[in-house]
Amino acid sequence: MFDIFNVYMPIAEMPFNALILVAIGFSVGVLGGFFGVGGAWVVTPALNIFGFPMAYAIGTDLAHIFGKSIVATAKHRKMGNVDMKLGLISIVGSVIGVEIGAQNVMWLTRLGLAGPIVRYTYMVLLFGLGIYMLYDYLTKDKRAAAQAAKQAALQAGEIQPRKAWNLPPMIHFPASGITISFWTVTGVFLFTGWLSGFLGVGGGFIRMPALIYLIGCPTAIAVGTDLFSVLFSGAYGCFTYAVKGRVEIIAAILMLIGASIGAQIGVTAVKYVRGYGIRLLFAIMIILAGTSVALKQFQFTTIAAWVVMCAALGMCAVIMLKLWVGFKKEKAEKMGHH
Amino acid sequence: MRKSWIMILNFLLLSLSGTLAWAAAEKAQLLEKKVNLANLGGINYFFAKWYNENLWVYALIVTVLMGVVGMLIAFVTDIILKNIGMEVSKIEHHE
Repeated sequence: MFDIFNVYMPIAEMPFNALILVAIGFSVGVLGGFFGVGGAWVVTPALNIFGFPMAYAIGTDLAHIFGKSIVATAKHRKMGNVDMKLGLISIVGSVIGVEIGAQNVMWLTRLGLAGPIVRYTYMVLLFGLGIYMLYDYLTKDKRAAAQAAKQAALQAGEIQPRKAWNLPPMIHFPASGITISFWTVTGVFLFTGWLSGFLGVGGGFIRMPALIYLIGCPTAIAVGTDLFSVLFSGAYGCFTYAVKGRVEIIAAILMLIGASIGAQIGVTAVKYVRGYGIRLLFAIMIILAGTSVALKQFQFTTIAAWVVMCAALGMCAVIMLKLWVGFKKEKAEKMGHH
Repeated sequence: MRKSWIMILNFLLLSLSGTLAWAAAEKAQLLEKKVNLANLGGINYFFAKWYNENLWVYALIVTVLMGVVGMLIAFVTDIILKNIGMEVSKIEHHE
């Protein structure tokens, strides 16, 4: 029935359903704009599940991520969610990391090990991060109370402040309100860049939590700054994979059409949700993404496809609902003022 | 003395990333493939032709096209959202 939407992919030399590509693009566009991630943790398994060869899935994904992140970053910048200084430092680490990761995956492909190794790395990361963020959300009140008690003890001189990692040069980021060692920042971005190239992701699903938990950014700034970094790692990833012949351009354009519209919706929704709300939804999403990758690894391909697509579509619905409720509330408040 | 150690450590950390990139680059390999142009026409032929002839030009086309298409769609969507009242401006950050 949906065969009429089949479009011929000239590089992969196979027909593929355009509707699926636009729908995948739209869903990850909403998720990407809202969470500040590229969304490849949904796209790469989804493309692979629907029959795309692994090597093209990664390159095509990175190409559409680049286009989409331009859209989302511009909008986040309008909202004051992008720390340009932090983002610019991220470029150096990310570019080097992406290249190392891309080379590593090519080498693994030659050995015939790329598929399972990439999927196992995905699983560990998605589950690990998701469970940690869920734990962080559930214990936030307890930690806030402990932090207040510690602050009081520090002020009374009962305890000494703990020595932090402060290898010079130290850098101040006024937009995020933090001062941190250059090496911490570089190390974080080098590692996330490597993951980006290796897994074929924008690197965002690890960089966004890293910006919050390791660097100390407010959640909305982590989202915007992460997208700024995704823009550059996506551009570099897109180019380097295309040079290696791994981008299916027609598929990338179709996904980008959906993603650009979705990203606008996702970014606007950030305005109406508090930081911890974004973290909770993010944790749920990546645990579901990890479940789908695990199912795929254990040969439950059809169920895995449903899990990843339903999770992405379900989360999109939640985000769009949050946007609609927030928008209506804001409109009602404005009407009340007049 | 402390300054010297900091300089040495900084130098070592800087050289580490370069060494890693160099080591990884030794294993690089591109996908050796030629697309069959026989049944292709129009835009598909254009993309596939550059893919076969020069991957650097193909990569440039892909990268530029992604940026241009993304910006065009964003521009149109922005106008639509503005018209229905979903404008965005600077927000306060609440955790």
